Amino acid sequence: MVGRYDIELYNNKVHYHLNIKRNITVLRGDSASGKSEFIRLLSAYNANPESSGITLISEKACSVLTEENWKLFIESYNERIFFIDEGNTFLATEEFAKAVKKADHYFVIISRERLPQLSYSVEEIYGLREGDEAGKYRNATRIYNEMYQLYNNQLGNIAEPEVVITEDSNSGCEFFCEVYPDKCISAGGKSNIQGKIVGAKENQILTIVDGAAFGPEMQACMELIKTSPKSISLYAPESFEYLILKSGLIEVPKDILEETWNYADSKEFCSWEEYYTAELSDRTRNGVGQYSKKKLNKYYITKGNLDKICKCLPWKMVP
Amino acid sequence: MLTIIFGDYKDANYISNPDMFFDNTYEDKWLESDLAKDIVKDIDKSDLEGPNLVVSPVLGSIPVTRISGGAKTLIQIAFDSDHIFNASACGDNCAKWLLKIGNDKDIVVRMGHVMHFPEESFDIKIANTGDIVHTPYELVEKVITEGLLD
Repeated sequence: MVGRYDIELYNNKVHYHLNIKRNITVLRGDSASGKSEFIRLLSAYNANPESSGITLISEKACSVLTEENWKLFIESYNERIFFIDEGNTFLATEEFAKAVKKADHYFVIISRERLPQLSYSVEEIYGLREGDEAGKYRNATRIYNEMYQLYNNQLGNIAEPEVVITEDSNSGCEFFCEVYPDKCISAGGKSNIQGKIVGAKENQILTIVDGAAFGPEMQACMELIKTSPKSISLYAPESFEYLILKSGLIEVPKDILEETWNYADSKEFCSWEEYYTAELSDRTRNGVGQYSKKKLNKYYITKGNLDKICKCLPWKMVP
Repeated sequence: MLTIIFGDYKDANYISNPDMFFDNTYEDKWLESDLAKDIVKDIDKSDLEGPNLVVSPVLGSIPVTRISGGAKTLIQIAFDSDHIFNASACGDNCAKWLLKIGNDKDIVVRMGHVMHFPEESFDIKIANTGDIVHTPYELVEKVITEGLLD
């Protein structure tokens, strides 16, 4: 399934507006923001669309998954947007994660649980906010809403960190080792990032992760950033491959980066990170810049090309 | 004191879906207490008039089964000591209430995320390790270093 979908659901008391554009969207945030009321409304609408007094405006059919129906619905329907309320025990199972991977549906999950088995983006974690004083209008607003995907707790010098921790262990790490010689270490995977931050002896820490699949780690990471006495910055672009594509080194249609939702088919790609990697690999195949995730092609660290990629970073490099 | 079990917990007395459990097990006397009224006022911005009525500024008059999952979970933690509830049904706006209830009596909850406690100092026992932590940083550091949510 591809595309971006506006969903409006309302009755005479509450009016919800969501915009869904990836295979997994997570709704969390404070209690009493109306998340479960949304599920209640959608269930009531689906039970009796004409006479419920509830209006649903959505290009794609929307359904609520429960303990009882989830397997059947995922298997039986095509191109639906499924909503799942917190408290459903199947959410944390490998069986559900397997069903979500490469499904021809989008999933909106209400949960504060970490859900490490699902690849969701930091950009698609939303809270419901009141859009008016009376509290009738509820809009989904990004929880991690910093510009340029840069999150930090103190105005430390991001351009001159004492240590740089990368999620990647291969190409991404090799690139940032060139940018920050003698300072860059690999966490060897997203689930090790928090441990590396806690264990770092340095006080100015820059962490670079693939935002497209870092969602499960984001909540604890942000708590660490908010409460730590150290100066911690987290940079979460979609992925290292996204940075390369964005840098202009490789010719790529603008829409692929600006409207990825129209290209990254959920049936083929678990996350946009996978899509960007496939796109970069395909576009550079058999060329001088042939990209491999496992080993960084020296083409990307020649002086001019490295500078081009660094220009995409949201801070100015110290010469 | 507030004791938190982090990560998987599957004992028979564990309630993973406190929202639904509340609807089928709440007792009227819980909802006549000042504590329940204060929780509903603070979290839901609504008036708990009694066991059969809540007045919400948005939804109007509603039954108690339509208060938020966070408020339901807090009320159960305060009044039902036979069960261990999933406190990941509670948003960060419930954190101060968990500490308040934990100041009055010993309570045990389970969490699958790191809640942000606004207070700068507190006593929270982590059941997985037996440690008592006193600041939000100590809490998240312990969860990470011990891999309690892995």
